[in-house]
Amino acid sequence: MDAARYATLFLSESREHLTEVDDALLALERDAAHANAAATGAHIATVFRGVHTIKGMAAAMSYAAVEQLSHALESRCEPLRSAEEALSGDVLALLFDGTDLLRAAVDAVPRGHTELTSSMRAFVQRLGSVAAVDDAGANVHAIADTPEVIPDVPSDAVGTARQVDVRLTADCPLKGVRAMIVLAKLSALGTLRGAEPAQERWQDDLFDGAFRLTLQSSASDDEITAAAQSAGDVARVAVTLARPTPAQGSARVTDAPRTVRLDARRLDTLLDLVGELVITRDRLLRAIEQSDHPDRAVVRAAADAARLVATLQDEVLQARMLPVAQVFDRFPRLVRDIARDLGKDVRFTMEGREIELDRSLLDAIGDPIMHLLRNALDHGFEDADTRRAAGKPASGELILRAARDRATVVIQVQDDGRGIDRDVVLRRAHEQGLVQEQITTLADDALLQLVAHPGFSTARSVTSISGRGVGVDVVNTRVRALGGQIDLETITGEGTVFTMRLPLTLAIMRALLVQVGGDTYAIPAAHVMEVLEFHGASRSTGALTITVRDETVPLVALQQRFEDDPLAPAVANPDGVRHVAIVEVAGRRTALLVDALLAQQDIVVKPLDAVRGARPWFSGATVLGDGSPALIVDVSSVA
Amino acid sequence: MSRTVLICDDAIFMRTMVGDILTQAGFEIIGEAETGVQAVERYQQLRPDLVTMDIVMPDMGGIDAVREITKLDPGAKILMCSAMGQQALVVEAIQAGAKDFVVKPFQPSRVLEAVNRVLAA
Repeated sequence: MDAARYATLFLSESREHLTEVDDALLALERDAAHANAAATGAHIATVFRGVHTIKGMAAAMSYAAVEQLSHALESRCEPLRSAEEALSGDVLALLFDGTDLLRAAVDAVPRGHTELTSSMRAFVQRLGSVAAVDDAGANVHAIADTPEVIPDVPSDAVGTARQVDVRLTADCPLKGVRAMIVLAKLSALGTLRGAEPAQERWQDDLFDGAFRLTLQSSASDDEITAAAQSAGDVARVAVTLARPTPAQGSARVTDAPRTVRLDARRLDTLLDLVGELVITRDRLLRAIEQSDHPDRAVVRAAADAARLVATLQDEVLQARMLPVAQVFDRFPRLVRDIARDLGKDVRFTMEGREIELDRSLLDAIGDPIMHLLRNALDHGFEDADTRRAAGKPASGELILRAARDRATVVIQVQDDGRGIDRDVVLRRAHEQGLVQEQITTLADDALLQLVAHPGFSTARSVTSISGRGVGVDVVNTRVRALGGQIDLETITGEGTVFTMRLPLTLAIMRALLVQVGGDTYAIPAAHVMEVLEFHGASRSTGALTITVRDETVPLVALQQRFEDDPLAPAVANPDGVRHVAIVEVAGRRTALLVDALLAQQDIVVKPLDAVRGARPWFSGATVLGDGSPALIVDVSSVA
Repeated sequence: MSRTVLICDDAIFMRTMVGDILTQAGFEIIGEAETGVQAVERYQQLRPDLVTMDIVMPDMGGIDAVREITKLDPGAKILMCSAMGQQALVVEAIQAGAKDFVVKPFQPSRVLEAVNRVLAA
């Protein structure tokens, strides 16, 4: 038999086993309520055997993705099979997901894809970390190495093949473009044999500035290192010999992910220290900038130290990142239970479970998401008859979605229910005196402000699920406290989407420092599109606007906003030039008028315990390089 | 002899700012251009050591100007000046022949680092 025949056999047999595994999992789910130990044991044995057989075949064929996924699933089944652990809904959901991924990995083989995709890798890591949490308590955090992949290197070109691992500095802008420049520098030395991640993915939001190039070249390791560094913003270069490919020809994984256990509090301490280090670095750089005759050796050492601090910061932040799946995965079961209590038929799907967030944020977003899911289930979905009468499918569709958008993570809860009834909200708002009588229409953001008003509820009765007039209010407060923002889109009869936008991390952010009325403020750089010179505003329908490349953008004078005084004196820059920062929030642009631009730098965010009733213009505070404090502008509330 | 620079940007503010940063660091600004067409003309007349190029300009954008200049002089050293959110355009500019980029709002140290890198290459 030849290799092609083996491959065909592998496919047909794996698929048979996958079908058996699926059937067994479905039986387990169905029987969960009236569990019969013998039947449960038999189904678990089927699952275990199926993935075990697939693993064996995949190993023989060097299909790394299939092998690792089935190995991870097999390991997860082991304690179930030996009855050390009872099967829970969460674990069952995990096995369903794993089986889906395994099927995808098997289906990818004929297309020549045998490596783990990022979502598969996240899943394998999650299985590892779930196990770690389960057996050592919740305060343990697993860090997994990504599996090492040896690229395919033909041996017929000049020079030796080298693996060049490059990491760009944490504060490097447009990392994907910088990586292209590194690649161009290295290409000049020899022949490029491969890139990991693939070049097409460098312009993705997820590209973090770490990549590996395989270069065939007669240049020395030092020459290669120097060439890579000459591209700029390179934090680290490591050149190693590329090892020859195994006989099979396809890339192969040498090592299972290695993990270490770490008390999560250590990561917090580490991050605090890095934050202080970042501030100290900025003070040092400023001191050098201000000295008249800086010593060259000092300047060079400071620049090196600054680069190392940036890399350290990047690594620590990365170590704290966890996939949102860790929070999301408890929802399918909860949604199922609530829907059943309410007698509603709802199909629940989740997208982007592999998206990563800082663990402090991850801990904090569970409740807000739960509130929104409850709201959707309780108020959003009509009963089956009403839906049918409206020409909709009888079962409702509820989607929980995570996605990266620049330096933010977007989490959406979307339902295809009745939508929020603007008339009811308006009537209720009139009753409670929240809105003037003459206002008769509500835009989405005005609607959000009302439903997020403390104590506001349109629910006809208080249920055990939601409807006590908390909910959106709580969600809004929580998300804002995390430095995020929330948006609402609703169409009567078609459904509602709540969108939460969260920073990737709470601890450190890049900010534009500006001067307003003699004080320094920080505007999160993630929201700043560009900065322009201010040449005067015009007034359209009462509001101030400026024109940016033929586009009319509303203008907010920060000083007047902060002092809540439309007549606040316009304190000008000594040279009379003021600037506007064009910020974008949820697709809407606003120009913020400031007196002067100071710098763009990383700031360490300290939470602001605002006094109740205080103006909501600020989301936190920071300490600047010279030791003075500055408030962080909450762009979504001032814009 | 100090190195010569041609600054291309449609905003006077940006030209002034880049000019100040570079003049203070000892460069000689030998010309400015407000449009892509001007950029190509001035390059041909002045043959500067370095060009700083805005992406969005009237009358031929910065990327097309990079293409034209690179056609005239394959060794031209062009530094792109981009705003945040223009990643795709910067990619195009680099493919068109630009050697490096800086992102607005400018930090003098970053601008000088990039300029020195481009000139050293």
